[in-house]
Amino acid sequence: MAQKIIELKNVTKRFPGVLANDDVSLHVNKAEIYAVVGENGAGKSTLMKTMYGLHAPTEGEVYIKGKKVEHFSPSTAIKNGVGMVHQHFMLVPSFTIAENIVLGSEPRDKKIFVDKEKANEIVRNLSKTYGLEVDPTVRIEEVSVGIQQRVEILKTLYKGADILILDEPTAVLTPQETEDLFKVIKKLVNELEKTVIIITHKLNEVIAISDRVGVMRQGKLVGEVKTSEVTEKKLAEMMVGREVLFEELSRDEIKGEVLIKAENIVAKDNRGFDGLKGVSFEIKAGEILGVAGIEGNGQTELIEVLSGMRELKSGNIYINNQSTTGFTPKKIRDLGVAHIPEDRLVMGLSKESSITDNMLMGSQHNEKFSSKGIHLKRNVIVDHAKDLIRKFDVRTASEEVTVGSLSGGNMQKVVIAREFSFDTPILLISQPTRGVDIGAIEFIHDQIIKKRNEGCAILLISAELDEIFRLSDRMITLYEGEITGEFKNGEISKNDIGYYMTGNRKESK
Amino acid sequence: MINIKLKQNIEYLTSLFLSVFAALFIGALIMMINGQNPMVGYKALVVGAFGTKYKIATTFAKTVPLILTGFATAISFMSGIFNIGGEGQLYLGAFAAAYIGFTFTNLPVFVAVILAILASALVGGLYAYFPGVLKVKYNIDEVITTIMLNSVAILFTTYLVNYPFQATQGKMGGTDMIGLSYKFTKLVKLSKLNTSIFYTAIIAIVMYYIIKKTSFGYNFKMVGENSIFSRYAGLANKKYMIRAMVISGALCGIAGCFEVYGVHYRFLQNISKGYAFDGMLVALIVRNNPLGIIFMSLFFAMLKTGSISMEVATGIPSELMLVIQSIIILFIAGEQGFKNIFKKFRANRRKLVK
Amino acid sequence: MFEDVFNLTLLQNTIRTATPLVLAALGGLLTMHAGILNIGMEGMILIGAFFGVLGSYFFSSSLMGVLLAVLSGTLIGLLFGVFTIELKSDEFIIGIAINIFAGGLTVFLLRSIFGVKGAFSSPDIMPLPDVHLPLIDKIPFLDTIFNNHSLFVYISWILVLVVYVFLYKTPYGYWLRAAGEHPESLENVGVSPKKMKYLSAILCGIFCGLAGAHLSLGYLTLFTENMSAGKGFIALAAIIFGGSNPIKTFGAALLFGFFDALGIRLQGVGIPSQFTQMIPYLATVFALFVVAQRKLKLKGR
Repeated sequence: MAQKIIELKNVTKRFPGVLANDDVSLHVNKAEIYAVVGENGAGKSTLMKTMYGLHAPTEGEVYIKGKKVEHFSPSTAIKNGVGMVHQHFMLVPSFTIAENIVLGSEPRDKKIFVDKEKANEIVRNLSKTYGLEVDPTVRIEEVSVGIQQRVEILKTLYKGADILILDEPTAVLTPQETEDLFKVIKKLVNELEKTVIIITHKLNEVIAISDRVGVMRQGKLVGEVKTSEVTEKKLAEMMVGREVLFEELSRDEIKGEVLIKAENIVAKDNRGFDGLKGVSFEIKAGEILGVAGIEGNGQTELIEVLSGMRELKSGNIYINNQSTTGFTPKKIRDLGVAHIPEDRLVMGLSKESSITDNMLMGSQHNEKFSSKGIHLKRNVIVDHAKDLIRKFDVRTASEEVTVGSLSGGNMQKVVIAREFSFDTPILLISQPTRGVDIGAIEFIHDQIIKKRNEGCAILLISAELDEIFRLSDRMITLYEGEITGEFKNGEISKNDIGYYMTGNRKESK
Repeated sequence: MINIKLKQNIEYLTSLFLSVFAALFIGALIMMINGQNPMVGYKALVVGAFGTKYKIATTFAKTVPLILTGFATAISFMSGIFNIGGEGQLYLGAFAAAYIGFTFTNLPVFVAVILAILASALVGGLYAYFPGVLKVKYNIDEVITTIMLNSVAILFTTYLVNYPFQATQGKMGGTDMIGLSYKFTKLVKLSKLNTSIFYTAIIAIVMYYIIKKTSFGYNFKMVGENSIFSRYAGLANKKYMIRAMVISGALCGIAGCFEVYGVHYRFLQNISKGYAFDGMLVALIVRNNPLGIIFMSLFFAMLKTGSISMEVATGIPSELMLVIQSIIILFIAGEQGFKNIFKKFRANRRKLVK
Repeated sequence: MFEDVFNLTLLQNTIRTATPLVLAALGGLLTMHAGILNIGMEGMILIGAFFGVLGSYFFSSSLMGVLLAVLSGTLIGLLFGVFTIELKSDEFIIGIAINIFAGGLTVFLLRSIFGVKGAFSSPDIMPLPDVHLPLIDKIPFLDTIFNNHSLFVYISWILVLVVYVFLYKTPYGYWLRAAGEHPESLENVGVSPKKMKYLSAILCGIFCGLAGAHLSLGYLTLFTENMSAGKGFIALAAIIFGGSNPIKTFGAALLFGFFDALGIRLQGVGIPSQFTQMIPYLATVFALFVVAQRKLKLKGR
């Protein structure tokens, strides 16, 4: 029988108001690749952080190599041979690869100096042993993300890890880099008897690499299976749970005029590479176009380029038949566009301001709220805020509360209330219910449907397939900045669409 | 709905008073170590600032540059761009105003004064415009550039008054006098209080109105709090940052103009004794609140005038007030941190009890 | 007239005027590497200068002067650290506060301890010793420039190397730089970034204290009000101009010292010195501009 290298017994983790992990028991065997899958918020990361000692479980026990973990801290984990590669790399950009790998436990020369040559030597040896090729003398800021990830893995190996936890390791990698990473992982496990735990939501990767899979949903481990005995489809079912009931959207042919038209649009991502590689679509009045896809496949670039927050590199965007090339966000808004951004705290709100001031944003020069666009009519503004708070059911003691002190769901309602209050014919919506509790989700969905029925053209981006299927009239799948398929709602099942989200192309008719 | 704003204001005022009190307490300790009676000292301070008509006048006169540079700081800081270059802008503005005054000596008074104010605002604003552009266009830290430009401006004006514009007679390190009729009228004999306090009041009211009551003030604040959000919502955030910088520089320039026309009647090479930094402290302490700036300026002015009388009466060196001012700012700057530590401490204690 | 200005004495003066800049800049670049912009160096120098005089006068020993300067520097560095690191206050607000605090405190103490206004000087203040280097006194040229300087001149040169080695060759230097550049990665390997930041703040206080002691005990033995006279800001300029590298910063400080010395000598022959004095500040803005443009180009790649 295989040796249990990590075992969790009835692990429960509670945060204030959230049950992140609910009575999870699982084990990982030595020299196997164990994948943990689940939707956003299913509790995968919390579970991994417990294993790495970043926090202690509220209840339950963790055993590493048969020994019960008493004191939860990363240094204990490292001592026990557990290493973690975070989704956001922990590397110092101006240091060389070798300097990063040995940081914190540098080889010494005469006790007080760092022996750089020795560090380089160590890294070269590690490289050779594990087949992870890197040049120890190059600076981190000069190498690709794929190499940086290798450095992270080498760092854990240098510290003597034989259990590696990889958190969404492929989220930032190109397909080629992903392939390389998988080769490395297989070598580590098959030839060097290391154990790898990988967290992901890309099901095709799970099938490709893992030995066993644990499926998480709403904090619980809902299934544990041998990879060889399941299919992607089956895993998706387990992840999502029950079949989803469709809302009664009127599915008549939509005859509105085209309000958004994208022609071959290309835009750079934050790293300077093309995040959108020639995307075309149209959205008519009274229609919701859902964009399905795994995060990081161009969704952010798409909504930002449409709203003017990101520069268009090539192609054309027409909003209300007006080309928006070179338009500022303000000019695009003036064409009748409202925008619910994917990250409300970065783009959608000012945390330090009151709800009132956040609700006012964008209409402060409107005659209704300021005479001649200058003198603010505070009473009207406050009444407007109170009105929206009531209409959108924002739970707060007062409209003067700073937005930063609201819960995620209530913050989101503030954003939605404001953007919807502009009564624009076009809505760009991204992740409308992220971090929002279930009651509020229903409410937000109803509001979006109402807008559609009023004749708005709506672009809806979401990582939640449920949401896309529930709200969209049509949907497109985005992969690596390209559209891989276009479907009418009802034409495809939720399980089948995953096929297109992972890079397979729909044959053109 | 409960009045959250009131609660926040009370909370802030409490920490402000605690900070001031603590600083005054430390000041009292220093006096005691020095062998003086703090009660006597502080009484002399207050009497020294408000005891006679002349003293009251002197105190109010000192609020002029503080209020102006205070608002200058507030408008830039609230917009998320940090003008530390007020001192340099003040020097250049003062020189520009003096230049108008000693070059064109035969203009109608109001023309000359308006010209001088405009010139000082223009020069000060322009001198703040450059670091503003460097910030929004090239992302060059405006804190560093404005600090550097302070010294450049002071050196440049020092050169001007010592070489090309040296006074034809009398004073070294100063320009010629401005036209006699241009001098601002004194409000109290022998004191430095002059009509510039009225102009300052007008400027303060306008600034208060802009910051608190108009969409522009709101826009400055939103750009300062989250510039991505403000761009997303349709504001030209870079333009607002530059505008804030220019307004800030203009106010500092005007402060310089008032020093020339109200106090010295010429440009002097050491015309400002760090007024812009004092004004910055004022604005920082009251977190850019317009009313706060006025009251805190008065408090600072009181410390300044009062401390000199205190020194005469009790022998306590007046510089003690600088120490007290900087301690207040330390406490206010550390307020959030103190609060967090206090919270943690309380949480820990609760844990122990359980 | 040209010979009156440009001669060996100018170079000798350069070394002299550059030394406080070098010392303060070495301290400031440590905080810079730890991710803290310290604009309070001006005040820290002033405090060092005052306590240097105080110690030297009361104990009739320049060593005690230096000790007090170092001690006061440690305390003011610690104060700076507590506020910027522990209480997470804005570093430049604290910097400004420290400058004003130092200006007030030194004059207050000057008057309450020595009972004088403006400046304090006394034959009882022991100066730092001058150092005579035996070998190079045979070479007239080098002898004039490099020999017979005050002790701290030579110490500052040694410290440049020490700081360089510390930053780039020892683990502490690595940790300090990591604490500034990417604190999470340091924390993740079990080293506290906070401690490294404290270390930098305290060292900065000490270095500025030394700079102050050199000012008040080096060539002249006196304390005058506001005697740091912008040196803290020029030191900041040198750090930025030198890209926070100790060797380059040393070079920048020498360069700025040269312009300072040149200005003084120009004034001696009746030529305005202000323009040469402006050079450090303008050069810094220009250097920032060049760096920023290079960055923009890289981004557009």
